[in-house]
Amino acid sequence: MINLILKLFVPFRWFIEKMGADYNQFIRILKLKLTLDDRRINKYSRKQESDQEKTLIKQSFYQILMGAFFGMFLIMINEPFTFFYLSHSFLMVMMAMMIISEFSTILFDTSENVIIQPLPIKGNTVSLARNAHVFIYLTMMAFCLSVITIVIAIYKFGDLPGLIFIVTIFLNVLFTLFFTNILYLGIMRMVSGERLKNLLMYFQIAIAIFFMAAYQIGLRLVDKTALQQMVLPVHWYTYLFPPAFFSGLIEAIIKLNFDLSHYIFIAESLIVPLIAIYFTGRYLTPIFNRKLLELEQGDRVSKIKTETARKSIYFRIMSKLFVQNIEEKAAFKLMWKMTGRERQFKQTLLPSFGYIIIMVILPNLGKHASLSDFTSGYKYLLILYVLIMVSFTLCTSLLIGDYQTSTWVFKSMPLKSPASFFKGAIKAAFAKYFIPFYILICTAVCLLWGIKVLPDLIIAFLAIYLITILLYYFQQPDFPFTKEKSAVQGGANSIKVFGLMFLAGAIGALHYLLLMWFDFANLMLIPIYIGAIFYLNRIMVYKEITWKKVDQVNNYS
Amino acid sequence: MTYSTVVEIRNLQKSYDQKLVLQGINLEITSGQIIGYIGPNGAGKSTTVKILCGLISDFDGEITIFGKDLRTKTIEIKRQLGYIPENAALYESLTPMEFMEFVGEMRGLGNEQTRVKAEALMNIFEMKPHLHQRIATFSKGMRQKVLICSALLHNPDLIFMDEPLSGLDANSVIMVKEMLIHLAREGKTIFYSSHLMDVVEKISDRIILIDQGLVIADGSFDDLNKLSHDENLEKMFTRLTGNTDHSVKAEAFIHAFEK
Repeated sequence: MINLILKLFVPFRWFIEKMGADYNQFIRILKLKLTLDDRRINKYSRKQESDQEKTLIKQSFYQILMGAFFGMFLIMINEPFTFFYLSHSFLMVMMAMMIISEFSTILFDTSENVIIQPLPIKGNTVSLARNAHVFIYLTMMAFCLSVITIVIAIYKFGDLPGLIFIVTIFLNVLFTLFFTNILYLGIMRMVSGERLKNLLMYFQIAIAIFFMAAYQIGLRLVDKTALQQMVLPVHWYTYLFPPAFFSGLIEAIIKLNFDLSHYIFIAESLIVPLIAIYFTGRYLTPIFNRKLLELEQGDRVSKIKTETARKSIYFRIMSKLFVQNIEEKAAFKLMWKMTGRERQFKQTLLPSFGYIIIMVILPNLGKHASLSDFTSGYKYLLILYVLIMVSFTLCTSLLIGDYQTSTWVFKSMPLKSPASFFKGAIKAAFAKYFIPFYILICTAVCLLWGIKVLPDLIIAFLAIYLITILLYYFQQPDFPFTKEKSAVQGGANSIKVFGLMFLAGAIGALHYLLLMWFDFANLMLIPIYIGAIFYLNRIMVYKEITWKKVDQVNNYS
Repeated sequence: MTYSTVVEIRNLQKSYDQKLVLQGINLEITSGQIIGYIGPNGAGKSTTVKILCGLISDFDGEITIFGKDLRTKTIEIKRQLGYIPENAALYESLTPMEFMEFVGEMRGLGNEQTRVKAEALMNIFEMKPHLHQRIATFSKGMRQKVLICSALLHNPDLIFMDEPLSGLDANSVIMVKEMLIHLAREGKTIFYSSHLMDVVEKISDRIILIDQGLVIADGSFDDLNKLSHDENLEKMFTRLTGNTDHSVKAEAFIHAFEK
């Protein structure tokens, strides 16, 4: 398979050399990267290669499924330009998100510098190989996302347009890669060192929320009855949108229309990606590399500001409220600091706050004719209980990180039970991230529904806290920050999310029914939830999280 | 000084995926000694250390430390242990002070006590200016210093060290060696696993050589030398582990890359 992929680069040898790379070295580095990916197993966990393969299959299946959902929407569109414009837009957005969330680590990886830098490798070869590596995965992803669309395109418009569509997918990948390089370089010019890494993280979070918002708003703007006749008008600025280049090319073939407008699209679709990738390889990658080296150097010397949790009043209040013993306090403090600094954790958790607002709260707000109509009933319960989804993300985000080898410190401590550590960890993350967000939402709810809903806010809070610790205590007891992102997200978790949505609905419904039954009936839930929390925190957790179970999933290298 | 048995190992066996790494180790270690635990790569040194520190719990055989069964009294034993692992795996987003505060709290030390001790220990290693800098920015030697300080924070009676001098500068190496000798004089037991034969030879009261999971030599360097008449520990090591043809191998190596 690797050799087959590498053979695909043979026709482009001249182009790769033109960009200032040594072709043979380029292929050798790329082969090394692909071989490493192929053999990559999570060496610190006991999971074997087959699990890695399963993750890849799960990811591909998930992407095909997403493509299928989008394909269902596209099937209604008869106009070829609109059809391909939307498919390429969808692809570009998905790929940009993928680069931002998954491949940034590859683009910014400087760990191999120590091995590769001393070797006599020509100019741009390393960075081109790095881009090619991302390109291969993006292409695979693009095809998984488009496989259903390709079938629909062939069915609707014929074989040749389908074939051309496949070619334009390659061109789209090239262009997106170039665009991302430009974007990152722009940011890298502004700041450097640790600040750059933080800025990139917040940029990634903002972009993820932005795309989700754009997608939601875009879907709402489309009048579904007009979809079949939907025609995108071509304005002067349409020529500036990359998806339009590719759809214009395909439309020209389908309609055999080679007027000036289509000639421009054809020229753009063929020339722009090639110029873009040449420009990336020849000029951008050397700057990118230089900046990367600066980044690495900067890390060595820059003193990083570290917040002292002790000084925070909020920390002290939360610590007093949540922590029961010394060991738990130590874990609480440690995790309070680490959750504030671990980028992977923040990158996974923080967008979920935005998603909840964009996907659930705002659409519900928008459905109603007036604000008084919206605030008349018990809709705030939906807003409150949907936050359970955030607590689920909190539990899984805590697992993501690269500290597989640092867990020896816990095992070497004289701890009777590891449960105290796990308790401290989830409580710190919950107190630090969920509670401020919940207070924000509660403030909005109180402003809209009035202070009378206060008991409901407390009940919902207790319910969410109960579900959070339930989820965390009963998941596989991996120490925090020890799992790869791909191992935590994906297939099995999607099932859990559905289950959780059902659970959130059920406890929300229980709350609602009690409210409907008689006044203050809802208050019955308070002692029940407090009792359950007490039982979970004081008894159940010690039975559930034992050294035996922890040892089975953690390796103390 | 009276010497008491600190560690007693009976027929210790450990296997990974049906491969027997430790094939039946028997040892008795007394207090106030520096034990040089040596052996070739893959001999089972780190595995022994991890078992004794309670990091690996599925082993066969009997181990008592301070007269307590390691299997049943792990927590009590761990309270008196200090452990410096082979690879300096630390939480990089923390500062040394934060890491040591965590270790101190987990070991039941008060915050103030931990801070004072951490500051004093780090100061000796000339690391005080870096106490509040993130570990991510540290060199290997600096990380090693953090590990050494955090392992000694609670004043343990038995200290396990797996390549503790790795990455340290020459001054720190001398300081650590001196420190180990002083600690042993105070009655503490040091289990020192290393590949640095000259250091082991100089500081160890007793040398234990293991190969393929078995103890093949045990005694003070002088005692062992009386039997073998080797020039130094390095020579003894190579002879006992069956690797005496180093110069032949070196020549072959040179020949291979000069060809």
